[in-house]
Amino acid sequence: MRRSILSVGDWLALPVVAALIALCCAPLLILLAYSFFQVDFVTISYDLTLANYAKIAGSETYRGLIARAFGSAFLVVTLTAVIGYPVAWFVAKRVHAAKSTLLTLLLVPLYSGDLIRIFAWRVLLGAEGAINRSLMWLGVIDEPFSGLLFSPLATHIALTYNYLPFMVIGLWLAFESLDDRWLEAAADLGAPAPARFLRVILPLTVPGLVAGGLMVFVMVAGDYLTPQLLGGASGITIISAINDLFGTAFDWPLGSAIAWTMLSILMVCFGLGALAIRRSSLVAEDV
Amino acid sequence: MTSPSPRQLDGRGRFVRPLLAAFKLTKTYGTVHAVRGVDFALAENSYVTLLGPSGCGKTSILRMIGGFESVSSGAVSLDGKRLDETAANLRPINTVFQNYALFPHLSVLENVAFGLSYRDVAKTQIKLLAMNALKTVQMEAMADRRPRQLSGGQQQRVALARAIVNEPRLLLLDEPLSALDRRMRKDMQIELKDLQRRLGMTFLHVTHDQEEAFALSDQIIVMRDGLIEQQGAPEAIYAQPETAYVADFIGGAACIPAEVKAREGANVVLETAFGSFAVPGVSTLHAGGKAVLCVRPEQVCVAQAETEGKAQLKARVVHQVYRGSDWLLDCTCGDQVVQVLHREAPPSVGEDITLAFDTAKVWAAAVEARAVTPPEAGAV
Repeated sequence: MRRSILSVGDWLALPVVAALIALCCAPLLILLAYSFFQVDFVTISYDLTLANYAKIAGSETYRGLIARAFGSAFLVVTLTAVIGYPVAWFVAKRVHAAKSTLLTLLLVPLYSGDLIRIFAWRVLLGAEGAINRSLMWLGVIDEPFSGLLFSPLATHIALTYNYLPFMVIGLWLAFESLDDRWLEAAADLGAPAPARFLRVILPLTVPGLVAGGLMVFVMVAGDYLTPQLLGGASGITIISAINDLFGTAFDWPLGSAIAWTMLSILMVCFGLGALAIRRSSLVAEDV
Repeated sequence: MTSPSPRQLDGRGRFVRPLLAAFKLTKTYGTVHAVRGVDFALAENSYVTLLGPSGCGKTSILRMIGGFESVSSGAVSLDGKRLDETAANLRPINTVFQNYALFPHLSVLENVAFGLSYRDVAKTQIKLLAMNALKTVQMEAMADRRPRQLSGGQQQRVALARAIVNEPRLLLLDEPLSALDRRMRKDMQIELKDLQRRLGMTFLHVTHDQEEAFALSDQIIVMRDGLIEQQGAPEAIYAQPETAYVADFIGGAACIPAEVKAREGANVVLETAFGSFAVPGVSTLHAGGKAVLCVRPEQVCVAQAETEGKAQLKARVVHQVYRGSDWLLDCTCGDQVVQVLHREAPPSVGEDITLAFDTAKVWAAAVEARAVTPPEAGAV
């Protein structure tokens, strides 16, 4: 008797797989294909070429923008990690009854739109904003400090604020599964507090740090609105460049090539992150 | 403040300072009095168990000695030095935790070597010492594994190696065998006792299992509701329980309520619902007071035709449990349940029988612990 190659479960999963391929993989593959084409005045020539990638590699502007995108992402990951670490520890280890309330409060800002949060920072950082007014009222400064808004500083403050919850959630999960008895054992074996942190707490929360860090990294690298609205002259990003290339410049192939360059770098980052989690781990290979 | 340390006699009758001394040791969590002022001393090179049901305060005592809980009041000293003012990592004490608490991100060898880096040990010696400790518990073949890849019994051995490699003055064991199956528990009991003898270290072992306590200990401290009910050698605790609680908790003695009529030398005359008996008993019992007559299952038998010189009780069999080598019978005498260990084919359930016991073998104990120390006011 011949057995069907696909089981009932496989058939039931088929629509999901099909939807994933159609909606996720196919557009990316089309982009990938475009990245090897070229624009010939107003039409697209379908001869395969690496010219777009060569152009990115040769252009200081594009290389600079890509480097800046990942530099910003790395900076924000670092900031959110430093701020989020004690917050996550506190929520996981020091709060009991109010835990779910605190976590909800942490996520509430995410319920409002990106734009609203960005404009809130405009209100705070502007020349007529809350910070400048307070400082003037206190007599710290005589005239408004105009460098606050429309600067890389404003962009990174808002980015850090926006993506902090993702880092905290990742770290919080790691702290929740950190058994206090490991710390007692470390103290019992003679380790002073700094050593307990470096040899027990830190290695055991690395998976959370990496997971939260990757989420923040990807989102910051792809963030378009925040630099645009708060960065002023520094607001041009690689993402806005891609936007321009697909829009007014009508250079889909170059835009696709940049998009795929970004995607490849992010995929490498994810690979390294996954490797870090496996190495740090806990998830040791089975006997 | 100098700590008052209870003194002990050594083998030649000299006074020696105990290794560890607890003086009015108290632990209060909010309004809960977990430990209500206990005094005890641990001798060098001894195996001591803190025995009691869950919630009796035994684990709190262990955690105060280990430094994981603060002492609410009272003092505990090691080698005559106050311990409660020293941070956990500076105490010459190591612990085998209930679920072992091995570091999951470190290999077995790294786990065992962990404590050595905080002691005065040359870097080159660390690996050697850790491997030696693993050899002691026969785990050297697993040195490169992660704890997760080990069975419960193997993790237990690694936890032991991790603690003893530091050569602590005192080793604390918090219900170390409770996660193991019965067979493994028996094997580990023998190994623990053997290890303590070989190392000459003092072990303080917390357990709720009286069988385990008897298998291991030189000294047993029986706890109840945050107080010590009785402490002493296992033989003394079994043969001369001071209170009804100890008699019942250890060896399941039937405790028949009685009134002390008189004292005759070492014996006391007890008046019970089943008659009057002259039996040995606790020295604090006095005429006119209340007491219990403790009759253990192995001290009572089903009376044959002639049982000369033995006290007798009329009873009815209500339940029988076959245990392989013997039967355990539940018998009622009035409203008193007496358990009987019976080696041959037992009388059937519902049968009326006569129970007999040797009055020289049974024991009279106090109803309650002597003077119950009330929790100290304003202890927190």
